[in-house]
Order: sequence, then structure tokens, then C-alpha cells
Amino acid sequence: MKNFRLGWLAAAVAAAVLAACGGGGDGDQTPHVKYGKLVSFGDSLSDVGSYKVGVVAQLGGGKYNINGATGLNWTELLAAQAGVTAPCAAQTGLNAAAALGGPVPVANHSGCYGYAQGGARVTNPIGPANAALLALGDSSAALGQLTVPVVTQISNHLAAAGGSFAADDLVTVMAGGNDIFMNLAAVQGGATPDMAVAAMATAAGELAGYVKTQILAKGAKHVVVVNLPDVSTTPYGISLGAQTQGLILAMVNAFNARLSTDLAGQDVVYVDAYTVGQDQTQHPDQYGLTNVTTPACNLATMTLPTSLTCNASTLITGQTIDTHYEYADSVHPTPYGYRLLAQLVTDNLLKKGWL
Amino acid sequence: MKDTHTMKPSKKYLPGVAAALLALTAGAANAQSAGSLQVKIGVNQISPQVDSGNLSAPSQPNTKIDVKSATSAILSGTYMLTDHVSVEGYVGLPYKHDIVGDGTIAGVGKIGTVKQVSPTVFGQYRFLEANSKVRPYVGLGLTYAKFYGEEGTGALTALTNPGGPATRHKVDAAWGLSPQIGTTLLINDKWFVDASVIKTFLKTTTHLSTGQSISTKLDPLAFNLSIGYRY
Repeated sequence: MKNFRLGWLAAAVAAAVLAACGGGGDGDQTPHVKYGKLVSFGDSLSDVGSYKVGVVAQLGGGKYNINGATGLNWTELLAAQAGVTAPCAAQTGLNAAAALGGPVPVANHSGCYGYAQGGARVTNPIGPANAALLALGDSSAALGQLTVPVVTQISNHLAAAGGSFAADDLVTVMAGGNDIFMNLAAVQGGATPDMAVAAMATAAGELAGYVKTQILAKGAKHVVVVNLPDVSTTPYGISLGAQTQGLILAMVNAFNARLSTDLAGQDVVYVDAYTVGQDQTQHPDQYGLTNVTTPACNLATMTLPTSLTCNASTLITGQTIDTHYEYADSVHPTPYGYRLLAQLVTDNLLKKGWL
Repeated sequence: MKDTHTMKPSKKYLPGVAAALLALTAGAANAQSAGSLQVKIGVNQISPQVDSGNLSAPSQPNTKIDVKSATSAILSGTYMLTDHVSVEGYVGLPYKHDIVGDGTIAGVGKIGTVKQVSPTVFGQYRFLEANSKVRPYVGLGLTYAKFYGEEGTGALTALTNPGGPATRHKVDAAWGLSPQIGTTLLINDKWFVDASVIKTFLKTTTHLSTGQSISTKLDPLAFNLSIGYRY
């Protein structure tokens, strides 16, 4: 009897030890929400190739990033994490001047839901590098970005989708940066700083309004709104000097304050890229960043000095597409910078139970 | 029932006079006396009291983890070196703990699971007499915690490498000291109930496939309840 019982004990111990030999693994990678597609509205930070035509394509560009197979922006990373197909540009085209190869006709692509366009503002249809600015003496406008504003991006989608969003759409909204650039240009043209700050608050109020009346009210159930990062500490902001940086900061704050106030209580995930972005600038080591003040793209030697045409062959010495520089050009992130933004977005989505 | 159980061994092992005395105490003749061997089976709940470090860069500041409690069966054997001093070995069936976000990432939900076995050998001192019905004890153990079967989740990948390959994790094995207090309660001279509380001082490091790591003091508190049989 004793021997039998001891034998049973030994067998149980042996089983416990054997069970300890299992291996680890990926675990359950399935998101908690089943999404059908990602629909993105906004500007260059979300653009997945609206201008990947003509001269831009010839230069190996198309996204405001370091272009290449791993040069993904935050919406592309989010789509992959959410288990939906990679977003593609809903519209392509370029109103380039003859010196830049001439215009490429605008084409709309059904089945593509990446509406965000470089240069797009919230409401005003004329953003940076829009061909209409050539007449005002803005040479960068030779590129001829379409800059379809967010309000029109949304209405274009509603027109294509039968007037409403699908319940399983994951909708992203991030805009305001181009309203900064254009209002700042207005100050340089004679407008007062107070007018520029007020214009930013107005733009944010409009953006919040579109989210409520044109997105949430039209059936979208999972909407992510990313606020405006601190443009004043970008290489662009730094180049303008302390006084202008102060004005930019005031404009960014006016925009974000209004956006967050007007979206309070709404069933959206509001991502505070502003606060975390400032922390990245102040504590780059924490985020694995090696440079937060100068661009990784060698803008001085590029035909078009913008990340839109930046790729592995146009980087400064010693950097690759895997660089941990924050900025590709004067305002746009590197793939690593976008990854940090994507991580912030997924953190917020997980806390909401939406990922 | 009780009488037949107590009487039977008395007849078998003890002289008549002593048997008469012991029958009165409903106790056990050769209770926890020197040379006796006991085996126990029971349940043990391990509740890590986590003090998490921060996930290494690149991460948001204050990115921490918490490890949830787990319950499993335990087997233990006790050998009385003297009437008061014993050596006890614990072997548990595997435990499976959920790992969740804490600190900045509190609220993101489950970021992984880990299995562990943590065999422990105790030296113990047992109070009161060897045949006392209730017998408290204190012990100090050495624990070896082996972690295995780590699995990630979509949340772990989303937080560390969104849109990329699934992030995996690996938890280092660790040694720890385990003070214990407990008591036995005799049912009869063969069967008894044992309960103890064990605190283990255990520190480990978890490594992610992204190259990041996070150190954590697990310092679990374990509560166990067993039924034992003495040979």
C-alpha cells in the first residue's frame, strides 16, 4: 500500500516536470474588434501615396517618410495591427508645373480608403504646395499637391460609400499641421499673430464638427482622432527662431484645446500625440531616438527637398531606412518616428477595448 | 467512524496501557515524531505582489506589468528529523499566470501568459508536542522558479511593434527565499489537514523579442490547504 501511494506521487511529480518542457509562442494575436477596413482622413502624416505619380514616383518617393518597403506610416502600421488590408490612396494625381514633368491627371480609386493627402487642411482647399500658390510667388507650389481638405475627403468617402460609414470601419482623423503652415505664412504676409492663433482654434472647431456630424453621425463606430503634435520643436520650427516657435506653440495649443473641448464626451479615441511628442523631444533615450532636431534625409542634395521623395539613397551619411532619427525632413517622421506614433495610438485603442 | 480509525492503529502499534491513554486524547500515537514521513495533496494559490520596473527603451515612460494570481494542485512530502524539526518538499502542478499592463499601460488588458513551476524545499520548526492535535509551524524554504510556455498577445505586439511580427517574451528562471507559517490539524492519527502561507522573495527579468526587457519583483504570497497522510 505504501509503495503504491509513493509510486503515484512520483508519477504526479514526473508529470509536472514533463509539463514544464512546453514551448512559448505568439499567443492570440486576434484583435478584440473585427474590423472590415481602415478609412483615413488627414494630411501628409497619414498619406499613403496620393502623389506617387509623375516626378514623385520617378524620384522613388510617394510618402512623407523614408520611402521603401519598410517605410510605413502610422495608419499602415495600425491597419496591419487591426488585421485589415493596407490602406491605398483613394485619389492620386499631381498638378505639377512643366519643369517638374507637368500635371498627372487626378484619378479616384474605388476600394481604396486612404483619403489623407499631403498639404491638406481642415476646410480650406488651398494647402502647402498647391498649384494655386504659384501665382502668389510660392515656388514650392510647382509640385502641385492636390490638398483636398479633410471636409471634402469625408464627403468624397460618403459619396462613394452610399452616404454612411460601415459599422466595422476603423476611421482615423489627423489634421491641422497645414493650417499651421498657411496661417504662419499669413502672419509673414501681414496678418497678426492673434489672428493666426484664432484661425487655428476655428479650424479645430471645424474638424471636431466634421467628426461629429460627418463621421460619427454617419454610422462610424470606431473613430480615432489624433491631435496636433508640437510643430514648434520640429527642425522646421527650430529653423524659424524662438519668437516664431513661441507663436507656433500658441497656435498648436489653441488647435488642440479646441479639438479636445469640442470632442469631449464623444465616443472616440482621442490620442494625445502632442504631449507624448513633447516627451519624446525632451527624453529621446526613453523612446530609442538618436536625434530629434535634424532631418535624416539629405535635403540639401535632393531634387525636391522633402521627405515625399526621400528614400534610402537620399539619406545623410550613416543613416538607413531603419534610422532612429525622429524626423525624415523638416516636419515629417522617419519610419521609426511613425512607429512610435502607432504605438501611442494602439495603446489608446487597447485601453478603449478597440484592438 | 472516528473511533474505529483511532483504535485500529493503536491496537497495532502500541502497548495496552499507552493505548488506553491515547484513546482518550483522540490523538495520534506516533504523530509528528522523529522519523515519521507525511505526504500531502492540496491546492495552492500564488498571488504575485508585483513591483514592476519599467520596460526598457523604446517605450513610454512608466510602462509596467502586473502578474495575476494562479491556483494549482500541490504535492508535498515531510520528513521529521526530530520531534520538532522537519524537512518538507513542495512540488506544484504547473501554474498559468496572466500578465497585464500596468503604469502607463494600465488598462490595455492581457499582454501575455506564462506558466511556472516553483519547487521549494523547507526547513521547518514545529511547535507543541508531537501528538498535539493542532500544531503550528514556521519554515524557511529555498524556491526555484522555472518559467516556461510564455505566450504573447495581440496587445503585446500592438504596444511594442504594431503591425510587425508577433512579439514574444521569455521569463528568466529565478531562485528565492520562502519564509512560511502554517499549522496542521489532526483528523485522526493517520489523516490531517495542513494550511500554510508562504512568502517568496523572487526577482526576475522578462525579455521581449523586440530586444526590450523589464525586471520585476514578483514576491508572491501563496496560500495553500492540503490534506495529509502520515506513514
